Amino acid sequence: MASAQKGSRRVTAGLLAAPLLWLLLFFIVPVVFIATYSIGGIHILPTDPRQISFDAWHRFLLGHSVYMSLFWKSIRVSLTVSIVVVLLSYPIGYFLALCVKKRRYVLLLVIIAPFLTSYLLRVLAWKVILGDTGVINTALFQLHLRSPDDPVGWLIYSQFAVMLVLAYVWIPFVALPIFVGLDGMDLSLLEAAGDLGANRWRTFLRVTLPLSAPGVVAAFIFVFVPTIGEFVTPQLVGGTRGYLFGNEIQDQFTKALDWQSGSVLAFFLLLVVAILMAVFGRFSQVRTVPT
Amino acid sequence: MSDLAASRGAVWGLRVFFGLLVAFLYLPLVVLLVFSFNKGDVTFPLQGFTTQWYHLAASNPELRRALERSAIVAVVSSLITVVLGVLASYGLVRRSFWGKPAFAALVFSPLVIPYLVFGISLLVLFTAFDRFLTITMGTYIGLGLHAVTIGHVVVALPYTILTITPLLERLSISLEEAGHDLGASPWDTFWRVTFPLLYPALLSAFLIALTLSFDEYAIASFLAGSSPTWPVFLFAQLRVPSQLPELVAVSSVILLSSVLLVVIAEIGRRRSERRYAIGRS
Repeated sequence: MASAQKGSRRVTAGLLAAPLLWLLLFFIVPVVFIATYSIGGIHILPTDPRQISFDAWHRFLLGHSVYMSLFWKSIRVSLTVSIVVVLLSYPIGYFLALCVKKRRYVLLLVIIAPFLTSYLLRVLAWKVILGDTGVINTALFQLHLRSPDDPVGWLIYSQFAVMLVLAYVWIPFVALPIFVGLDGMDLSLLEAAGDLGANRWRTFLRVTLPLSAPGVVAAFIFVFVPTIGEFVTPQLVGGTRGYLFGNEIQDQFTKALDWQSGSVLAFFLLLVVAILMAVFGRFSQVRTVPT
Repeated sequence: MSDLAASRGAVWGLRVFFGLLVAFLYLPLVVLLVFSFNKGDVTFPLQGFTTQWYHLAASNPELRRALERSAIVAVVSSLITVVLGVLASYGLVRRSFWGKPAFAALVFSPLVIPYLVFGISLLVLFTAFDRFLTITMGTYIGLGLHAVTIGHVVVALPYTILTITPLLERLSISLEEAGHDLGASPWDTFWRVTFPLLYPALLSAFLIALTLSFDEYAIASFLAGSSPTWPVFLFAQLRVPSQLPELVAVSSVILLSSVLLVVIAEIGRRRSERRYAIGRS
C-alpha cells in the first residue's frame, strides 16, 4: 500500500478538490465577507461607511441596548424551548429504546415523520389552530365559554405561540439522538446495579440517566442552534410580542437596509453558536466522523 | 433489567405518554388536511366537502411556476450535492491525507450554521460580486435560482456524506483492491465495483437532499430575488386569507409525496444493507 499511496496523492487531491473548492467559495468566503462587512471592510450600499472602524460593534455591544436585550430574549426563548423539547422527548426515546422490543423502528418513524413534512406547513397548521377565528377560539365560542368579540388573545401573536410552535416543530427531530444514546447502552450495567442493591429509581438516576447524557446534550444542541437564529415562526405566529433577534437581523437586511449593523448581528450570532458548539462538543459524543 | 423499564406501572405511563405525544404531533396536520376539503375559508364550523381547492390550485399559473422553480432547484442542487458528497466521502473513508480532521470539520460545519446567517452571507457575497462586475465590466448576474441552488448544495452536503460514509465504511476495501490488482484504473474500479454497491446509498442521499431543498425557506428567501421558489411563494401568500385553502391543498399533496419519498429512501437503504450482508457471507 505504501508505494500505491505515493502515486495516489493526485487521486486524493482530485477527490477533495471539488467539495473543498465549493465549501471555500460558497461557505467560508461568505462568512469572511460578513465579518469584513461588519467592520467596514466592504461597502456595497451607498450608505455604507467608507473606512474600517469598529463603531458598529461598539454600538451593538455597549451602546444600543435594544439589540442586546433582543438577543437575551432570544436566548431565553431558545433555552426554554430546548429544555421543554428535551424533557418531552426523553421519555419517548427511553420508551422506544428500553420498553419496546418489536416495531421500535416503525414507532420511531411515526415520531420522526412529521419532521419530514414542510416546515412552513406545520407552522401554518398552528396558525389555523391558534388564530382569533381558529380551531380553539371557535370551539370556545360554540361552547359559549367565550364571546366571539373576545377571543383568547395570548393564543397567537405572543411569545407563548412562538415557543409552542417551535417545540412542536423540533420534538420529532430530538427523540432520535436520545433514542440512539439509550439504544447503545450496555444493559448488563443495569443488572449489575440491581444486583448491588439499587432499586429501580436509583438505577435510573445513577446509571441510565448519566449514560444517556451525551445523547441528551446532542439533542439539546439540535434544538438550540436552529432556534436561536429563528425568524420564520415569530413572523408567522409571534406578532410584535414574539419578535426575536433573528427578525432583527432579517429586518436590517430587508427593511432598514443597514447591512453593516446586520452583519454585526449576524456574525455575533455565528460566534455565539461556534462557542456553544466548542463547549458542548466536549460533553457530547455526536456521531464520530471517520478520520 | 432492573431499571424503571422493568416496572409495569412506568411502562404503562410511558405508553400513554407516547400516545398523547403522537396525537399532539399529528392532530395539527390532520386539521390542515380536513380544511383542504372544506367549502368556505379556514375556520370552523366546516361547510361541507369539496375538492374545488385542488382544482383551483392546479390551474393557478403563478403557483405552478413556483413549484416548477423549486423542482428545478431541488433536482439540480441534489445532483451536485451527491457528486460532491461521493467525492468527499470517498476521500474521508478511503484516503489518508494531511489536514483530514480539518476537512471533516469543514464539510460538517454547515450542519450547525443558522440558515438565517448563511443566507445573509451568500446574499452579501453575490451582491458584492455583482458590484464588482458592474464596476469592472458594466454588467451583473443578480440573485435568482442559481444562488439558491448554490446555497442548498452547501447545507445538504453534510447530510449526504452522513448517508454515504457508513455504507462505504462497511464495503470491503478488498473488493476495490481486487479491481486494482486485476488491472483496473481507480476510475474503472469506482464505476465497476464501488458505484454499483453504493448506488442505493446514493439514491437515498439524493432523496434527502431533494426534500431538504424543496422545503427550504430561510436561505431561499434571501437569494431567490424575483423568482420565488415554492416555500418563498407560500410564505408570501400566507398573508392573503382567501388563498389559504388552496395553499393548504397543495401543501397536503406535497406532504404526502414527501412522506412517500422518504419511505422509498428508507426501503432503498435497508435493501442496500441487506444486499451487502449477503455479499459478505
